[in-house]
Amino acid sequence: MARPRLGVVKFASCDGCQLTLLDLEDQLLGIAEQVEIVEFAEATSARSAGPYELLLVEGSVSTPEQAEAIVDLRRQAAKLVTIGACATTGGIQALRVFADHDAWRASIYPHPEWIESLATATPIADHVPVDAELRGCPIDPGQLLEFLTATLLGRRPRLPDEAVCLACKRAGSVCVVVAHGEPCLGPVTRTGCGAICPAFGRGCYACFGPRETANVPGLRRSLVVLGNAPADVDERFAGFTALAPPFARAAAAGLAAAAATGGDDARR
Amino acid sequence: MISATEAPAHGPGFLARKDLGALFALVRDDGRRLIGPTVRDGAVMLDELDGPDALPEGIRESQTPGRYRLEAGRPGRLFDHTVGPSSWKRWTFPPTVPVGTTRRDGAVVAFEPATPDAAPLAFLGVRACELAALAVQDRVLLGGPVADPDYAARRRSALVIAIQCTTAASTCFCTSMGTGPEVSDGADVVLTELDDGFVVTAGSRRGRELLERLPVRLATAEERDAAAGGVAAARAAVAANAGVAAPGLPSRLMAALDSPRWADVAERCLTCANCTLVCPTCFCTSVTQRSDLAGAETLSERTWDSCFTGSFAAVAGGNFRSRPQDRYRQWLTHKFATWVDQFGTFGCIGCGRCVTWCPAGIDVREELAAIAPPPRAVVTGMHLPAVTPAPDEAWLRPARVVATHRETANVTTLTLAWEGQVPGAGQFVMAGPPGFSAAPISVSRARRGAIEMTVRAAGPATAALTALGHGATVGVRGPLGRGWPLERMLDRNVIVVAGGIGLAPLRSLIEAIAAERERFRDVTVYLGARTPRDRLFVGELGAWSAAGIAVTETVDRAGADWLGRVGVVTHLFDHAERLPEGAVAAVCGPERMMEATVEVLRARGIPDERIFVTLERHMECGVGLCGHCQLGRFFVCRDGPVFSIAELGDAFGREGL
Amino acid sequence: MHGGEGRGAAGAGATTERRFDVGQLTRVEGEGSLRLRVRGGVVVEARLAIFEAPRYFERLVVGRRPDDVLDIVARICGICPVAYQMSAVHAFEALYRVDVDPAVRTLRRLLYCGEWIESHALHVYLLHAPDFLGFESVVALAQADRGAVERGLALKKTGNAIVALLGGRPIHPVSVRVGGFSRAPRPREMAALRPALEAAVEQALETVRWVAGLPTPDLRQVARLVALRHPDDYPMNEGRIVSSDGLDLPATDWEAAFREEQVEGTNALHARTLDGGAYLVGPAARVTLAGDRLHPLAAEALAATGLAGEIRVNPYRSIVARAVELVHAAAEARDIVAGYRAPETALATWRARPGTAAWATEAPRGLLFHRYEIDERGRVAEARIVPPTSQNQAAIEEALVTVAPGVLDVPEETARTRIEQLVRSYDPCISCATHFLDLTVEREP
Repeated sequence: MARPRLGVVKFASCDGCQLTLLDLEDQLLGIAEQVEIVEFAEATSARSAGPYELLLVEGSVSTPEQAEAIVDLRRQAAKLVTIGACATTGGIQALRVFADHDAWRASIYPHPEWIESLATATPIADHVPVDAELRGCPIDPGQLLEFLTATLLGRRPRLPDEAVCLACKRAGSVCVVVAHGEPCLGPVTRTGCGAICPAFGRGCYACFGPRETANVPGLRRSLVVLGNAPADVDERFAGFTALAPPFARAAAAGLAAAAATGGDDARR
Repeated sequence: MISATEAPAHGPGFLARKDLGALFALVRDDGRRLIGPTVRDGAVMLDELDGPDALPEGIRESQTPGRYRLEAGRPGRLFDHTVGPSSWKRWTFPPTVPVGTTRRDGAVVAFEPATPDAAPLAFLGVRACELAALAVQDRVLLGGPVADPDYAARRRSALVIAIQCTTAASTCFCTSMGTGPEVSDGADVVLTELDDGFVVTAGSRRGRELLERLPVRLATAEERDAAAGGVAAARAAVAANAGVAAPGLPSRLMAALDSPRWADVAERCLTCANCTLVCPTCFCTSVTQRSDLAGAETLSERTWDSCFTGSFAAVAGGNFRSRPQDRYRQWLTHKFATWVDQFGTFGCIGCGRCVTWCPAGIDVREELAAIAPPPRAVVTGMHLPAVTPAPDEAWLRPARVVATHRETANVTTLTLAWEGQVPGAGQFVMAGPPGFSAAPISVSRARRGAIEMTVRAAGPATAALTALGHGATVGVRGPLGRGWPLERMLDRNVIVVAGGIGLAPLRSLIEAIAAERERFRDVTVYLGARTPRDRLFVGELGAWSAAGIAVTETVDRAGADWLGRVGVVTHLFDHAERLPEGAVAAVCGPERMMEATVEVLRARGIPDERIFVTLERHMECGVGLCGHCQLGRFFVCRDGPVFSIAELGDAFGREGL
Repeated sequence: MHGGEGRGAAGAGATTERRFDVGQLTRVEGEGSLRLRVRGGVVVEARLAIFEAPRYFERLVVGRRPDDVLDIVARICGICPVAYQMSAVHAFEALYRVDVDPAVRTLRRLLYCGEWIESHALHVYLLHAPDFLGFESVVALAQADRGAVERGLALKKTGNAIVALLGGRPIHPVSVRVGGFSRAPRPREMAALRPALEAAVEQALETVRWVAGLPTPDLRQVARLVALRHPDDYPMNEGRIVSSDGLDLPATDWEAAFREEQVEGTNALHARTLDGGAYLVGPAARVTLAGDRLHPLAAEALAATGLAGEIRVNPYRSIVARAVELVHAAAEARDIVAGYRAPETALATWRARPGTAAWATEAPRGLLFHRYEIDERGRVAEARIVPPTSQNQAAIEEALVTVAPGVLDVPEETARTRIEQLVRSYDPCISCATHFLDLTVEREP
């Protein structure tokens, strides 16, 4: 039986999520035996515009060209899976929606008219239906492997939708909120990373995005009661998954409170 | 080694601190890994220890809901802490344990159960409550129709060296649950720490054999007394904490499945599952699969799970517990009610970890008291037990008037020089001119060195107060009473409603909010007065607005020169746009005005738990001894004057109470 | 994004026009395109067009605090996040005059060693080596020489393990903070790395031998080389900016010698010397300008190849420079781990001050310069980030001009492969440069 055809494509992103596939060093050659990698620009010069049994999409849509390309790709893919915070929530570059995009472009590029980009950087699901998601910034290699393995075997991938706190406590890490008063977004963030940040003595910054039943007002209140300034807590949400609906309001409030000096018209 | 004549076979022994290393060496020689408490990342954690130097010397903890800090304890003491977030469950019931491996080779399939890892361990420093937790888990995991083989193997092989607590954290409630601080059984060896060593007893044959191999001598009478005294001190400390009314709790709790408090706690609960994961008795798990790419070999593992996760009660058609309040109710009722039906004990052993390690600071003791309050135990009979007297509260003392300000025709604010405890917002004082009766007066502003009380001349005593001038002496007692719960208002929208003189006790609340304005959300003050000339603190309203507090006024009736609103104060928000979500309300004014206001607030969606009023009653003493201010089961002077509508219940707004 | 696939043949106009389209350059990081124009047999323009979608990082960090900036700038690149964090954190600490624990300095070098190993191993084995042996991918290469590929993957895995140990994960590590690390590794954790590092040194040495023996096209390009140089160490986090033609200035003063300009048709800014000249940063520049600071094992390995002179002038030989740096990084990492003592203070305290925070470090691909203006509130008011690939673009285009005559008369496929192989020699990291590689050669009469 023919191996399933795998494609890996990239929009506006840092490459880290695709790289996670290449970071499965022990399994990479095995994966290449189980699937046929027909399109993966970073790793192979073999090209294919489709069809794909499985298409992994990294990055958010941030140019007019990309908005068209994703529609084509959706047609070519039996199963389209978004990987990473950019593809699933827009990513850090999505924060541009809170700002004046044209002023931004002008502030970096002396000839902004030569650059074509959208005022928004949006998740893939805003443009086409998506079959599955891997969250994270970057995605977790264990979750990627679990997804690929489960897909190949026909079982449901285990990608729990629960708080980071479970991973943190299973790992035996000390809670940075309770023991240090740190603003940690773990209780409202979806697990997947293995609770790295608390293991390294800092609070979670929600790069895996919100979990189900995320009680953002409740967490915000708890962190304020423990002594954090409300504006600081809000600013925590203005990160890599800021556009996700449970976080967006707090993120906008945080950025407004931390409004930049220097004006939007600063040029080089 | 000790000779037979010195062997403490007939009484507690003593192990010097310097000889603790011998215990470690012995345990290691017996092929065991020693697990005990050690400081890591700012907490006392349980971990494998190399030697006594790893124990937390001179460390104690401060534990309150949602907050844990290490502090300096008695120098040299190794066990002045209580319990940290980790429990022995980590070793008897580890977070991830293999269950079995499935091998597939073409059509041939084999299911190989995992062999338990029974590497022998020694647990050093197991508290009485934790012994109870082990016993509870034994009933769950070994006492049912099917036993868990992994747990059985680990439990059997572990050597348990218990320590009796000689300190307690504010979150401990072992005495409520009957699990401590004294160790009864379940341990191989029991230690009680003194300044220079440990009083030791054996709890099993295995323990006795261990002690015989250590430099243990017979304990002296002083040492035995000191040990007993240490444990008694722990008991007294726990008894002073808030506790749980355990007798009858299961049926009270199951009768309260529709309590409105569940929704209230759900608003605060983050369903983060921390409580279940630090709990030493929670046992819910899931089974996960990990395969190789070809599916030839799949490892199944059992991993800690929690009833707070979204998918815990999910099935193909839906979810039995989708709402946070359903999940919280499941946890609390299981721990304190249905567990009893299942296993014959409470699930909770009173260690307080769930209280400390809840980031939202939810305290199960407080929630249980609100959801399933105990009936007060009735003491009857001729020979009633003696009461230990509470400390005396000093009578009136002199305070000097340093300023006066006439607010209205019959209301004056007196500024008094003040030494001693600064009154909290909402507290009051008993005050009167020399020779007159003292009356309860609201403290309308409190600073270090001076307080302001705002008095309405309603009778001879208060009229005389309002007539006092600079330099006069007033007799005062206080600060008294329970003030406004500012911590319940943090990061919330706040609505303040004041009618007439009712603004006096609310002014201190408004100023406390203005001083830390950014820690609150939207704050709106609604003021009502009879006429424009009856308005209080008129000159300060501008400052409140400038601090970001919205102020809206109305008067009942006015002349032509009043350009503001006219009408009763409830009209100000009765027809306003939606009241802010999650708001807290603070109300004061004439009783009728408060009743009407509470009705409107309730109708607009603010739950009784978050509406606070301050009550005025006839008071003679101010400290709960004269009987005049009784309201139902409360003494307004000491249980109030600030109350939530939820706790007042029927007592509020009822004619003739 | 998916600009057309490679096609040869004539475009509009004259029959002498020859166009090379590499629709999307593969086996580089990011997206870019190239256009070659030939008039009368002479190449008159070679344009590298990067249209990786811009993400405006220099604007995203405005208004943020330095510790948040460290998390944000890592996301500029998934392959070299540590480089961005290192340039930024040193810039802030220079302005705030923070004295980090000496062990923290060592740990930061170890962290960078980990990233160099991961990045160089990725490039050598997965992105570049397939070109030399005529394979389209590392998977295809593995079918012919599985041992080599496994060696490369093992090296990459070790590099990732170092970064993960210090930073929590290899991509976008979490522990780098102003003042040091939010938590330093525990000695037990460090010791666990030792076997992998011992193996890594051997694997790196074998890599040098392997790449030195690969069939390599010849090309002469004498570029102006720029790198950091440090009195004691092979340059990573510290040093002065030096060049092959006498430049020598503090790392904070990059703008005194270089500038950026925007070129139409590309989303990345190009960096040039103030007098408009092209220059080259990266392993070839470092090995040439700071080769005397290489770890002895690396210096020996380089000497044994006899290719030090070639590295200087033949871009295709950069793969050897990269392999030599693999030896250096593996050996230095091994030495650091063997002598590890945890810092007394993993995270120093500091106070923000307003002012200019600037610094340059050596990312795997070359010099990476950051400058931030910090305002009175301790937040970023303005940012400038100059990645190595922006600095190499002019040199890449010059090299393409140099190579073009040699490919116009060879078969389509060969030409395309050789040009791509050349571009890959510069290990462009295009997401960094913000800046999609698409090769178009138009020949005009």
